Amino acid sequence: MRVVIAEDSVLLREGLERLLRESGLEVVGSCETAEDLLLKVRSFSPDVAIVDIRLPPTHSDEGLRAALEIRAQHPSVGVLVLSQYVEVGLAMKLLAESAEGAGYLLKDRISDVKEFIGAVRRVAGGGSAIDPIIVSTLLSKHRSDDPLEDLTPREREVLELMAEGRSNQGIADKLVITLRAVEKYVSSIFGKLGLPSSGSESRRVLAVLLYLRA
Amino acid sequence: MAGSAFASDLALGVARAPRLWRLWAIGTAGCAAAGATLALGLASDGSAEPVARAITVDWIVLSYILAGLIAWWCRPESRFGPLMVAAGFAAFLSHLSWTSLALPYAIDVPYTIGMTASLLPPVLFLHVFLAFPSGRLERWFERTLVAAAYVAAIGLGLVVMMLSDLGPHNLLGIVSEPGAALAVRRLALVAISALSLAAIAVLVARRRGTGRPLRRSLALLIDAFALALVAIPVLLIASIFDPSGMETIRRVAYAVIGIAPFVFLFVLLHARLARSNVGHLFVELRADPAPTDLRDALARALRDPSLTLAYWLPEFRSWADLEGRPVKLPSSGGRGTTLIDRDGAHVAALLHDSALADEPELLDAVTAAAGIALENGRLNVELKARTEELRGSRSRVIEAAQKERQRLERNLHDGAQQRLIALSLELGRLEERIRGDREARLRLDQARREIAKSLEELRDVARGIHPAVVSGHGLAVALEQLAAKAPVPVRLNVKVEGRFPEHLEVAAFYLVSEGLANVGKHANATAATVEVARTNAHVVVEVVDDGIGGADTELGSGLRGLADRVEALEGRLRIWSPTGGGTRLRAEIPCVS
Repeated sequence: MRVVIAEDSVLLREGLERLLRESGLEVVGSCETAEDLLLKVRSFSPDVAIVDIRLPPTHSDEGLRAALEIRAQHPSVGVLVLSQYVEVGLAMKLLAESAEGAGYLLKDRISDVKEFIGAVRRVAGGGSAIDPIIVSTLLSKHRSDDPLEDLTPREREVLELMAEGRSNQGIADKLVITLRAVEKYVSSIFGKLGLPSSGSESRRVLAVLLYLRA
Repeated sequence: MAGSAFASDLALGVARAPRLWRLWAIGTAGCAAAGATLALGLASDGSAEPVARAITVDWIVLSYILAGLIAWWCRPESRFGPLMVAAGFAAFLSHLSWTSLALPYAIDVPYTIGMTASLLPPVLFLHVFLAFPSGRLERWFERTLVAAAYVAAIGLGLVVMMLSDLGPHNLLGIVSEPGAALAVRRLALVAISALSLAAIAVLVARRRGTGRPLRRSLALLIDAFALALVAIPVLLIASIFDPSGMETIRRVAYAVIGIAPFVFLFVLLHARLARSNVGHLFVELRADPAPTDLRDALARALRDPSLTLAYWLPEFRSWADLEGRPVKLPSSGGRGTTLIDRDGAHVAALLHDSALADEPELLDAVTAAAGIALENGRLNVELKARTEELRGSRSRVIEAAQKERQRLERNLHDGAQQRLIALSLELGRLEERIRGDREARLRLDQARREIAKSLEELRDVARGIHPAVVSGHGLAVALEQLAAKAPVPVRLNVKVEGRFPEHLEVAAFYLVSEGLANVGKHANATAATVEVARTNAHVVVEVVDDGIGGADTELGSGLRGLADRVEALEGRLRIWSPTGGGTRLRAEIPCVS
């Protein structure tokens, strides 16, 4: 699996490179500016690009703009955006039309190596990785006559993991239950929330997030 | 106490009146000249015609010298009076050639002068008419026109004299070429006629081009000037062909040219009378008018709707408009400037239509009447200027504070936060290596959690210092997080596109943040709406809830800081919170783009 990194802090960039290599991923390029990132993505066609949201020169939205451009120009390249703050507005901007091959995680997440590598692989494979903080913020949102209240605690857990972008198998592993059980929970959740249940694993992330945001 | 000056010279104080004896001396000389002309007329060969001619000449000589002296006395700051006097004497000089007819013996010098200057009077009349009211030619084309006329009159006059054989009295004669002399003289006549017609065009343009309705008396004066300018070419061209009725034409033309000074005297009298008309201004000013009312009252009294006022602020060493903003006085050009001084220091300046320069009496009377009110107005504007300055320094302070906060946030983000994340990453890698040692793994995991907590705390601190997402991604994106985290359902309605100046976005962000926090704390609401819209030059931010209302609208609570922030951007923060009727927080912040 081939990875490109854009991160302007040397300390973090080198740490990230080592971490990815030790986990068996191939870092084909690493750089510190958005411009370089786009160049490397064009020339190396990696499976995934890991992008710091604040990149030089202004450290404002260069990283996000580069991420959106990769998503538009190179749909086969997964984009995992890292940030020291995660914001609902930014998540929605990044996902815009689909959550496929897109990830948005708090930077701290890289220290949980197994989880983080799992997220990188998911995004590289066309799946998604949405930070739990985004999901919990959206879940905490108050609504009038909220259908979420009808969910059982277990269903709520499954909903959260689903919104983070995990596959049914991933959810089953995480909760130590069978795949069949997960599928049952999922269809029950979709029924209670009134969402069309036809969504594939990769499509349902955006559907759930949009539902939670509304 | 109040002095006035006009567009081209901003001299202060009243120009000194001419010595009375000098005027009397000039007047006496004028009478003597008139007498001499009459005497020459009587003395020349006895026929009735020279006497009649002398009388028509004296009509011009006396009317211009008399009116000129009165103008000199009344308006010492204007050169118009002396110019008229000069025109009168020129008329006298040009008829000195009569000496050859009047006296049995030749007086060469007066004869030569008279012949050479024979075309000077029409040019001086032209000069007088165009130089009204200041006595100066304000525009380049007026100066060019008059200069050309002088060249034609004197220059060509000299050439004519050199070529002519006009008898032994001509001291300038060099060769006798009567044909050439006649041609040159006709050229001069045609040239001066053409220039007179051009001067009529200038007067017509001036009559149309003044910025305010022309007074009837002033219109009459310009008409009199124009009529005289018609008479000049008629007289000059007629003299080329010398028709049978030439003498009648000459008398009519002289009469018309001589009327202009009397019309001028009438206008002068009228303007003096207008001075007593400013009485109503005193009444209007008695009530200590607001600055704009004072301007309006002055504009009415001066009959100049375009009037503007500027006040002198000694502390700032500059002029300021009614709002206390610095302005520059026009150095010259289309606008007239009248400075109003008090005890040797500037108080105010009236910027008015330059046509007002023909009514110095009115300007003087009006500025004298408005003296105290203007002084009050000046103090008022000075206060405004100080407030303006204070406001400027407040927004500079807030801007500097914001820059500093931004820098701090950035330092945290790039420094401590990155290092902690890198450290946490190292611990994570270490944890992967010691899979076997369960005890060590647990302790490493513990350490990682501690770092995660520190990071969370640091993040909160950094976010409180400066909302980086606002500067990075704009208000609309940042507000989504606030709406999602709000304690009640929030409908977000951001109807603006693109970005605004950063300090404005940050202020709006804090406003919504604080507003929604208050909704949670006090309002007991079930829902709230956040609206951001743009109206003309303002960004309007509203936070509305459906709670119990009755909030402290005096901005006593945490809202004072927000109000300061909004006011520093020259915006306005208002709160409606009727009991039981919800709370509405509305900020309007001006934005130029």
